[in-house]
Parts: sequence; structure tokens; C-alpha cells
Amino acid sequence: MTTDDHTAEPTSATPTRAGTYRRESGQGAFLAIAATGIVLALVPIWIGDSRTLMGVAITGLLFASYAISFNLIFGSTNQLFLAVGALAGVGAYASTIASDRLGLPFPLTMVIAAGLSMLIGGAFSWIAVRRSLGIIFTGIVTLTFSLAFDNLLLGQRDFTGGETGIVVKAGSNTFLRQQIPPYYVFLSVVLIYLVGYVVLHRSHVGWAFRALRDDEVAAELTGVDVARYRIYAGAIGGGMLGFVGALWAHVEGFISPATFTFVHVDVPALVMLVFGGIGTVLGPVVGAAVFTYLGEVLASFSQLRLIADGVLLIVLFLLFPQGVVRALRSGVSGLRTRRRSQQ
Amino acid sequence: MTAVIFDGLVLGLQFGLLGVGLTVVYGMGGILNLAYGSIAVVAAVVMSVSMRAGLQAGPAVVLGILTAAGISLTLNSTVLKPVYRRRGEDRVLLSLLLTIGVAFIIDGLLVWRFPIEALGLNVGWEPVSIIGVRMRAGSLLASAITLLVGGSLIFFFRATTTGKAVRSVIQDEVGARLCGVNPAAVRTLIFALSGVLGGIFVATQAMTSPVPISAGFEFTITALLVTVVGGLGSIRGAFLAGLILGIVNAMSSFYIGSYITTIILLAAAALTIVLRPSGLFGERA
Repeated sequence: MTTDDHTAEPTSATPTRAGTYRRESGQGAFLAIAATGIVLALVPIWIGDSRTLMGVAITGLLFASYAISFNLIFGSTNQLFLAVGALAGVGAYASTIASDRLGLPFPLTMVIAAGLSMLIGGAFSWIAVRRSLGIIFTGIVTLTFSLAFDNLLLGQRDFTGGETGIVVKAGSNTFLRQQIPPYYVFLSVVLIYLVGYVVLHRSHVGWAFRALRDDEVAAELTGVDVARYRIYAGAIGGGMLGFVGALWAHVEGFISPATFTFVHVDVPALVMLVFGGIGTVLGPVVGAAVFTYLGEVLASFSQLRLIADGVLLIVLFLLFPQGVVRALRSGVSGLRTRRRSQQ
Repeated sequence: MTAVIFDGLVLGLQFGLLGVGLTVVYGMGGILNLAYGSIAVVAAVVMSVSMRAGLQAGPAVVLGILTAAGISLTLNSTVLKPVYRRRGEDRVLLSLLLTIGVAFIIDGLLVWRFPIEALGLNVGWEPVSIIGVRMRAGSLLASAITLLVGGSLIFFFRATTTGKAVRSVIQDEVGARLCGVNPAAVRTLIFALSGVLGGIFVATQAMTSPVPISAGFEFTITALLVTVVGGLGSIRGAFLAGLILGIVNAMSSFYIGSYITTIILLAAAALTIVLRPSGLFGERA
């Protein structure tokens, strides 16, 4: 393992496949996460006075968590889960119902919620692997789950409050409902997810992920248990989504089906991830930050929001299939090498 | 009971027609067009607006259908152009993501410019009685149109040279090219056909109940379910799946309730994928 990170940087736009996790040697990745943490920790100094803006910032961190989880499932193991919102929603509703109806302490219900989403995520992967569904069929099956979950929430009024949603009692009167503390709670979650992502990718699991992402058949032939590692990714990613969904329920104090629909969660999470770069460590956070900021700037044009999202989706996938951040970086390092070669 | 089944049949035929428009495009080029439902809704808006502007129902419907075909063709020759450079699963995935973007743009524009538009076509004839069940004339006319269109589609694909050329591309793109079939020309034809089918679908749908502008996503999902259950790329399968889903839909929304119905339909589609990935009539997936 080389110690110098920068010599390993691709000096020109090498045609790496979108989504392959480039192994960053040394402590580079952890330093980058720490730097991100410090920058994000300073945000409340800037906007801490405004309850609205803090709410926006917390939503941004929520979406960063969604994108990191989705990155683990889709970016690392090629499983298109179009149920990001639904898995988070399972966590949110499970935690709310368990704490407010059954009277369990809410930290415990968040663990239960994460466990439930983990089971469902793992089950998706298990089914997809067993029945060897490709990317597309995995996408369609998980999409049907999203839609069915939405209808379940709307239909079971007694339990879920239907369209109007439910007020979450557990968590009120704690620091989770104050203005600034929940921001740091969510920031810790994002940082833990990022560190977890890097640690996972440096273990034998990450090695298997890269192998099966690049060539599934070759990986299987060289002895990688593709099924097992896919299920790992689905279960861990599902658990991450369920936990952050549950946390959101107790922080926000209100959940409704609209919070977790395909259009409101999966599509933005996908756009953020693609913008930041599929398979990169910090891409999801960069994407979430940029789009949260843009969303706030364009808030007064909310009617055009849908159109803007559509245009962005098309432009991103056509021009920067490997992510805008990665394209910029290889552009910059390309310039640097050119200048160096001229000297 | 009989009335419910009849309702299911009427709905099922329409579902089938909707599904065919999506499945031919998938079968022919490996393009999963998720903007399909939204394009159909544009046709509905054009029909509704031009009828309010004083056009007769007939020409208005034709205008709507032509608009849908035009949008569909434009989509094929602009956004989807780079998609054809990819192969296999990459192609399906990229087409899916790009057409979600197109769907967002269309839906956004519709919500922005025509927020309260809805298309209803009133067929002013008396209800007709069939084996003791009184059927609304609109439902019957819609079914007749759907059957006619379905029949001519099957005739087109079975008996005409152009239809056979299209099927050859569905079966093997490279092989078809070697036999002198131009896949790009076939694609153009199929995208136009898909738009036309979407347009006819909203017209028949509007004869039984109004089509609101928010229906695009739902249409796309219905078409996707029909396509998946029937087998991607299979026209017969799409109609059969449409009928099955239509009857299930009518029965369970009559006896159980609409939310559970949707869940049952979705579960049926998911089960089909899991148990029989190639669908009822599909080639190997």
C-alpha cells in the first residue's frame, strides 16, 4: 500500500467505470471526512438564528444520509433499490407506532425500526439474487414495494392517520425538538455513515464489492460469494435508511406519506448521488449540500422545481454519468498535468 | 357480479392498449419509457383545450393523438439518441433514468400551465343492455375502439411486411440489420405508434371517466405493471395481462376498497417478476 495518496490520483481522465470505488490509500479518506465534518459543524454559526433555515439544513443532512445509503446499495453492488423513501418510511412509521402506541422507549424503537428496514432491505437483495433479477427487475420490484407501501399508509387510517399523517409524540420535550441540537445529531449520523462506508470498503467486504461490481461472473468464478455480499449491502443500506427515517420522525414530530414517496425521496436522492458521483465517498454529501442550497435559492419558484429537477436529471446523466465532482476533479488534474508537461 | 366483471373487461382492454404502447418500445429498443404516461396526458390536454377552443370532438382527438406521436418521436430523436450507443442493461437503465427526467419536465409544465385541466368525452347515447347488464354507451364505444385497435395491431405485426420487420428487430437487432432492416427507421415507426396508442388510450379512458393532468405517473405505472406481467415485448401478453389486471382491479375495488386493490395489483406484478421473470408470454428476460 502506497503512503502517498496523490501519486495514486488518476492524472488524466482515465475511463474508470462509473461507480467503481477508487481505493484511496492512507488516511486520505478519513481526513476528508473529518474536514467535511468540521465545515458542516460550522453551518449553525451562519444560519443558527433562523428556525426555518436550520430545518432546511437538517433536511439536507437527512438527504445526505439517504444518498450515502443508496450509494452503498446501488453504487457498491449494482442493486437499483427504488425504495429509498419506503425503507426510511418503514423505519419512521415503525418507530412512531412502537413508541406512541405501544409505549416503548423511543431510542429502543429506533433500533427496532432499523432492524425492520434491515430485514426488508436484505429480503429484497435475497429475492433479487435467488431469482437472478437484473438491475431493471430489481428496480421494478422495489418500485412496486414503494408504491404499495404508500397505499398501505394511505389506506390504514387508524394506524397511520392516512393522508393527513401523524403527530409523533415520543421525542418531544427532549433536545431533539430544539433548534440546533438535532442538526448535530444528524451530522453525527452522516459522519458515522461515511466512516462506516470507508471502513466497509477497506475490509474484505469492499474487496468483494469491487469485484462483483466490475464483473459479476468473474467475481463468482474467483470464489466471491456474490449472493452473500449483495445481501450484506441491501441489509446494511436498508438498516441505515430505517434508522435515519426513525430519527427524522422524532426530530420533526410529524410524518405523513408524502414525506417518503418515490418522487420526493428516491428521485432527489438519485440526482444528488449522480451529481456527487456514484461510488465516491463524499459525493453523496456534496450532492445533498448543493441541491439543498439550490432548493432554498429556488424556493420562490416552487412551481418550476419539478421541471428543474427533470432538466438536471437529463443533463447530469447525459453529460456527467460519472458525477460532476469527479468530472471537475479530473478536469483540474488534467490541466495540472498539461501545465506540468509544458514546463 | 356480472356488471363488475364487465367493468373489469372494459378497463382491462384499456390497460392492455396502454401496456402495448410501452411494451413495443421496450421490446424493440430496450428502452423503458417512463415518460409514456405523461405523454398520453399531454394528448388529453391537447384534446380538452382544442375542444374548448371550439373544435369538434373528432378532430380534437386526432390532434391530441398526433401531438403525442410527435412528442414521442422528438424524444426518440433527441434525448434518447445517446442511449442507443449503449447495449443491454446499461441501455435500459440509462433510458429509464432519462425518461424519468422527461416525465418530470412534462408533468411540471402541465401543472404550471394547465393546473385544473381535465379531459372528459361525453358519448351522448342511451345506455345499452347486454345479458341483463346496463352498460354505458361510453364504455361500449371505448371497448369497441380498443378491440379494433388491438385487432389491427395484431394484424399489422403478423401479416404485413413492415410489421414483420418490426418483429425481427424485437427478436434480434443485429440479425435484422443483416437482413436489410433499418433499426433506426423501425424505431421511428414504433415511437410514433407508441405515442398514437397513448393518445387513443386517454381518449377511450375519457369516455368512461375524466382524465386529470396528474394521471401521468399512474398511467406509466399501470403500463409498466401490464408490460411486466404480460412479458416485456409481448403484445398478446400485454392484452392478456391488461384483462387480468382490469378484472382484478374491478373486483377488488368493488368488494375490498381502492387502496388494498392497488396493493394487490402491485403484489401481483412483483410476484410475476419473482416467479416468472419473463412474464406470461415473454421471451426469456
